Amino acid sequence: MLFSRRYSKKPSPSQQFNDFVHQGQISSDLMENITEIQSVFCDTPDLIIRSLVIKQTQSQAVLVYLSSIADSKSIFNHVLHPLLFEDGQDINTEALNVSLGHIKKATSWQQIERAILNGACILFVEKQTEAYIYDTPDFPKRAIEDTTIESSLTGAHIGFTETGSENIALIRKQIHNRELKIKEITVGKRGQLQLSILYLADVANPDVLRELEYRIQKVNVDSVLNAGVLAEYIEDNPYSPFPQLLLTERPDYAAAEILQGRFVTVVDRSPSVIIGPVTFDSFFKTIDDYSSRWMVASFIRLMRYFGFIIAIFLPATYIAIITFHFEVIPLKLLLSIGSSREQIPFPPYIEAFIMELTLEMLREAGIRLPAKIGQTVGIVGGIVIGQAAVEAGIVSNIMVIVVALTAVASFIIPNYEMGSAIRIVRFPMMILASFFGFIGIIVGFMILLAHFIELESLGTPYGSPIAPLKISDWKDLFIRFPQWAIERRPLGTKAIQMKKANANHQKGDQQ
Amino acid sequence: MIKSKITLMQYIFLIHGVQMGVGVLTLPRELAENSGTDGWIAIIICWFLSIAASLVIIQIMKKYPNGTILDLLSHYFGKWIGKASHVIFALYFALLANVIFIREALFIQAWILPRTEIYIFILLLSIPSYLIVRKDISILGRYSELIFFMTLWIIIIYFIPLKHANWLHLLPLVKEGWEPILNTVKTSIFSFIGFEIAFFLYPFLQRKEKASMGIVIANTISLLAFLMITIGAFVFYSPDEITQYKEPTINILKVVEFQFIERLEIVFLSIYLFVISTTVLPLMFMTVFCTSQLAGKQDHKRHLFWFLLVECMFVVLFPPTYERNTILQQYIQQIGLILAFGLPLCLWGYVWLHGLFKRRAMQ
Repeated sequence: MLFSRRYSKKPSPSQQFNDFVHQGQISSDLMENITEIQSVFCDTPDLIIRSLVIKQTQSQAVLVYLSSIADSKSIFNHVLHPLLFEDGQDINTEALNVSLGHIKKATSWQQIERAILNGACILFVEKQTEAYIYDTPDFPKRAIEDTTIESSLTGAHIGFTETGSENIALIRKQIHNRELKIKEITVGKRGQLQLSILYLADVANPDVLRELEYRIQKVNVDSVLNAGVLAEYIEDNPYSPFPQLLLTERPDYAAAEILQGRFVTVVDRSPSVIIGPVTFDSFFKTIDDYSSRWMVASFIRLMRYFGFIIAIFLPATYIAIITFHFEVIPLKLLLSIGSSREQIPFPPYIEAFIMELTLEMLREAGIRLPAKIGQTVGIVGGIVIGQAAVEAGIVSNIMVIVVALTAVASFIIPNYEMGSAIRIVRFPMMILASFFGFIGIIVGFMILLAHFIELESLGTPYGSPIAPLKISDWKDLFIRFPQWAIERRPLGTKAIQMKKANANHQKGDQQ
Repeated sequence: MIKSKITLMQYIFLIHGVQMGVGVLTLPRELAENSGTDGWIAIIICWFLSIAASLVIIQIMKKYPNGTILDLLSHYFGKWIGKASHVIFALYFALLANVIFIREALFIQAWILPRTEIYIFILLLSIPSYLIVRKDISILGRYSELIFFMTLWIIIIYFIPLKHANWLHLLPLVKEGWEPILNTVKTSIFSFIGFEIAFFLYPFLQRKEKASMGIVIANTISLLAFLMITIGAFVFYSPDEITQYKEPTINILKVVEFQFIERLEIVFLSIYLFVISTTVLPLMFMTVFCTSQLAGKQDHKRHLFWFLLVECMFVVLFPPTYERNTILQQYIQQIGLILAFGLPLCLWGYVWLHGLFKRRAMQ
């Protein structure tokens, strides 16, 4: 009885997932087709239905398009004008002489409906069961601009825009190679979204591609808003604090990752693309690392990893030392900390939480507010929080220094997602430290490591050159070796063609 | 049958990780108690013995390369002995893991957080243990590998107190004859126990032809670590003083002091928990591996959960003390001696004879 009740329950119509497919074929009767179109697109004032007589064949026809998203100018010049006024006697073909490049034919209503919504214009001809689709989209779009989030000193000053085809063009501009393949997938029932997976066919691993395609095809939703939403649907472990797919708005970075054997998923309508599979160290690299000299780049990269450690462990270590292990620090330092904490009524962890949460709020406020008000936030943060809180004896000077250091350390991480992840991981560490001191930090670190080791990105190990250890990949990990020393693609991508350069570095004054 | 694989490096560091654990902290005292400052010679003898036993283990496993020792025993001696071996190995690893796990907590209590109860540490350490051990052996391999390289820098700290060293303490060599040294072998051999997990690791190894080399390297790394620590302790302390400390290895660090850090040993011991975890976690894995094989299950997650729960209950019901832990450790080490040295030798003889008779019969 219990079982039957559970299984006999049928989903009510409101819970059923409507797939919106318009079945059926177009008919040879023109009037019937027009009625059908009008019934499908009722309450659509921007739908244009234009009847005409084709001069070439002297047959009745109807042109249908959505005026808001179709390019009216090219419809007039390249579709309507030739059809109405050119007789095409000199051309011995059956095809209508329309001066457009992209012409398709369709028979089903489903195709036609989708084409209209993508900005195409449709030509129905009397007594034909095929309709012509002329691709004339004109969606509003933004001009290509400099990148806003991932700024770079010496890299290209071009960022992706919201138009998928333009983004593909930006990547193709970097890689002129016929092995650059594009796989197209459509996702979303209502807001159909065009995804293009770009990869090098002779380099990238086909198993990973299959995995990526499988995961994208499994996404069965109404609409996918942007790349971030898609990334959340296809990532390996949703319960991980770490991002497992990299979002970038830089075409040069995306192209560089394709050349390493990775896959770039261009999401139409989204100004960032998804790179996968990635490893942990991908989030600590920028395009500038490769365009500046290797020593400088390595130094900055080491600073980032150091910042990563500081941002996670510094407040926790401070709490642990002050609460449990004050004998660890030398007497002089202890005295100066003690004198600064003299007036403070709170235990260190409460003090730390107050300051850390304030800082996070200030940061978020600074991002969301318009630039003109944003300055006010800085003043409020700097003077009120920094100065006044210390003078009022709510937090100690040392705590302010610790919090400021962690903030700077977390801002040095070039990837925004990873920086945010670190900020979140910091809080459980602080709680553990306030309960168990160093032991709590070590246990927290162990849990973090356990998670880091088992994490995967599209089925490839996330911690790749570190765990599992792959020494040959360390050339581009903490220290970036000179370009001529890196001859192979990283093992972490499981690329099928490893070699990417030949050792032909000129040493000294050779002839 | 076996899907996950471990690389040679992971294999080496798994074995080395199991050997290098809590024993090192007390090793210099135990050696000095028995044979004075000549104790380090005993370690080298033990190294020879353990390498011999390790190589025998690899030779045995070569006869049955696609299964663990449990499959091998079932293959040669039938189902019931196979089942019994599951139980024996599971009990052995469980007790060993239990002893070391509790000892780890005892050290934490003694050195870092004296006012916290033992069971809280056990509870706390169970969380990462569960997260790491619940996956397959390759995750554990990656962990051991990572921890080895992550904690390698501890050695550098160890060289700092050596400026107070008095190298004359080591001389003359063999001052009281070989007898005390050979007696010490009996205690110091336990430091090397742990290589018997090769019985279980061998089928997972990617390149099996390197197994012998790998186990020799693992033993040698352990040897170097033990030698460095014992000789360091012998030259640092005077021969009589060393036996007064419970854990001379940690006490050495008391003299190290930087401008920014005093009481380095607290920091050191906290970080050393990582090293101890590479001993405990593989042992836990072996325990639940044996029991889940016995139950005929692929997934050992549930067994692990129960193991850790029983562990916590055990600690709550019988609050451990250092003395009781030491007694238990002595018992389990005797069993370890049999399983790590006796079993391979007997088995090798049997397998060899078995092959011989089979060939005769074929002819």
